[in-house]
Amino acid sequence: MAMKRHVIVGGGTAGLNAITTIREYDRGESEVVLLSGEWPYARMVLPYYLGHEISESHVFTATATRLAKLGVKPHIGRRATALDTKNNKLTLDDGTILEYDDLLIATGSSATRPPIPGANGPRIYNQWAMDDTRGVLAEIKGGMDVVMVGAGFISFTILNSVLSHGVNLHVIEVMPQVLPRMIDREAAILVQDWLRGRGVHIHTSTTVKAIEDVDGRKRLLLAEGGDLMADLVIMGTGIRPNLGWLAGSGIEINQGVLVDDHLRSNVSNVYAAGDVAEGPELITGKREVHAIEPTAMAHGRVVGANMVGRDIAYRGSLLMNILDVQQLDIASFGNWSAADRETSVLLEPRGHIYRKLVWDGDRIVGAVIMGPARGIWTTNDVGMLKGLIYSGVHLGAWKGYLQEHMKDLKKPFVACHVIRDMLPVTVLDHPTVPARDVVAVEPAG
Amino acid sequence: MSKVLKLVPESCTGCMRCEMACSYMQTGTYQPSKSVIRVSPFERHTSYSPYTCFQCQEAWCLAACPVEAISISPAGAKVVIRDQCVGCKLCTIACPYGTIFYDVDTHKAFKCNLCGGSPACAEACPTAAIQWVEEKVQDWQGDFAAERGVIHLVGVPSA
Ligand SMILES: Cc1cc2nc3c(=O)[nH]c(=O)nc-3n(C[C@H](O)[C@H](O)[C@H](O)COP(=O)(O)OP(=O)(O)OC[C@H]3O[C@@H](n4cnc5c(N)ncnc54)[C@H](O)[C@@H]3O)c2cc1C
Ligand code: SF4
Repeated sequence: MAMKRHVIVGGGTAGLNAITTIREYDRGESEVVLLSGEWPYARMVLPYYLGHEISESHVFTATATRLAKLGVKPHIGRRATALDTKNNKLTLDDGTILEYDDLLIATGSSATRPPIPGANGPRIYNQWAMDDTRGVLAEIKGGMDVVMVGAGFISFTILNSVLSHGVNLHVIEVMPQVLPRMIDREAAILVQDWLRGRGVHIHTSTTVKAIEDVDGRKRLLLAEGGDLMADLVIMGTGIRPNLGWLAGSGIEINQGVLVDDHLRSNVSNVYAAGDVAEGPELITGKREVHAIEPTAMAHGRVVGANMVGRDIAYRGSLLMNILDVQQLDIASFGNWSAADRETSVLLEPRGHIYRKLVWDGDRIVGAVIMGPARGIWTTNDVGMLKGLIYSGVHLGAWKGYLQEHMKDLKKPFVACHVIRDMLPVTVLDHPTVPARDVVAVEPAG
Repeated sequence: MSKVLKLVPESCTGCMRCEMACSYMQTGTYQPSKSVIRVSPFERHTSYSPYTCFQCQEAWCLAACPVEAISISPAGAKVVIRDQCVGCKLCTIACPYGTIFYDVDTHKAFKCNLCGGSPACAEACPTAAIQWVEEKVQDWQGDFAAERGVIHLVGVPSA
């Protein structure tokens, strides 16, 4: 019997996790083909390369040697252009056709630019791909004026690295606050204050309407009047899932590829994972696109297991983000923004401390936690918050205690048996095997 | 069955020797803020319990790390490979127990590594509230904390 052929499209976080999981189970007893526009790397550690904290090679998650050890047939630098789900055939940009038994769509997202004049000129970079980071590193110098357009999560992940080059930084945001999709306004005000205190210029409720070249510099014209001059512009204005190549494939797409609790699309031998997938959310079960690393990892692992026939139902993804903004630590979880829900808030403006719990009855369904790094890491409440939310524990009478003592998570956490509830939980129904230990065995003969 | 760090909260007197021993083992100096075992008061300050990584089977921290900087040691501990860690903190929000820490001085994650197979905390504890034994890992503190929590929940004005 011919070996089953799994085709993985996209070698980022989701794709690589799927591959290592397949090999963890089958040790090489299937054909794995990886098609990826780029060599596998961890996009989310680009900021540390941008800040010269790590070398470029540290960003890559798989070399040719590793792929060989995993028994993977790579097609790197090629792109998928069409998918024929009737005949199980994938077309690449060089005309090659790959046949598959099952296929994973894990093509991630691309950065988008605003539709304004001059948005695609020289010395304007996104901060999404390896080439963007290389581009900024080639140009950035101490003393420069740098403007970041967009104050979302991704922009903020590179803020420390950009500042480490000794530049004068302006941040422009259309919305009335920074990090509009990660924290609420109360928290954002503290972040803005913290950054202004460290010399960063924050411009909220500000729209760039055009970018011009003037004497080798950039002039950003603002819709509200006035302008800003820059030597370098970094765009963090949004991302879009890479789904164009699925046109005409019959794969059902909403915001992303719609997948069930096994991460299968409407075509049963085609899976989707990571930024491109619209899959179940943990608390509500509703399908959402998350575009975060933990979701891409869990998706990839679950798909890998299902591709080798393990029948793993996914519990769902919990939205979570953590940021270090000049040693102010900020994290949010789940349904932190719920305007219609009961909330408990702790605000200490002078200490830049903020905590918010979002309730569904006596369960926590979302949270924001923020404070100076030294304070945050003495308690490690970020992890316990994850446990309280993920376990869905009913806090009963402890809810009142927590509302009065927002900084004492430990007692309710332990007393409500979150530990007992969490210890048996595994994503793949067995203990996790480190991906770094997985290799494929040479097929005999 | 492999050995685990068993916690016996009923025996803990809150003397903090485990924190001292742990921080000395992990960092070479006595600084409880760098300890990865933490003693917490329950029932005001009349009961105490140590608390550390359960070396859970899901290994949430390990599964979350974008650069595979966490591995499993021969002693069964999930350990941070320091040179590989970039300090992104993803493991700290992935771990549902709050038992992986971030070191603001070194910019790296750190956690219990079972001291390579002979945990200093268990050796240091004078009352055997921390034991290095062959047993199945379990929630050793839940009932203890729940019983002693009552005092916090009956409307007694709190400290
Ligand atoms: C600067 C930065 C910082 C971030 N920080 C965080 C963070 O702190 N926390 C967090 O949770 N998330 C963070 N993220 C987001 C996180 O990196 C992504 O959610 C994650 O990488 C998604 O994984 P993925 O596998 O879905 O896609 P990706 O990792 O993007 O991989 C997609 C792959 O598909 C390939 N591809 C695309 N189109 C095609 C095609 N047509 N044919 C073949 N191959 C194709 C690409 O080349 C790429 O290799 C950050 C992202 C960036 C850019
Ligand atoms: S902080 Fe270090 S160990 Fe933790 S997830 Fe990030 S790189 Fe991995």
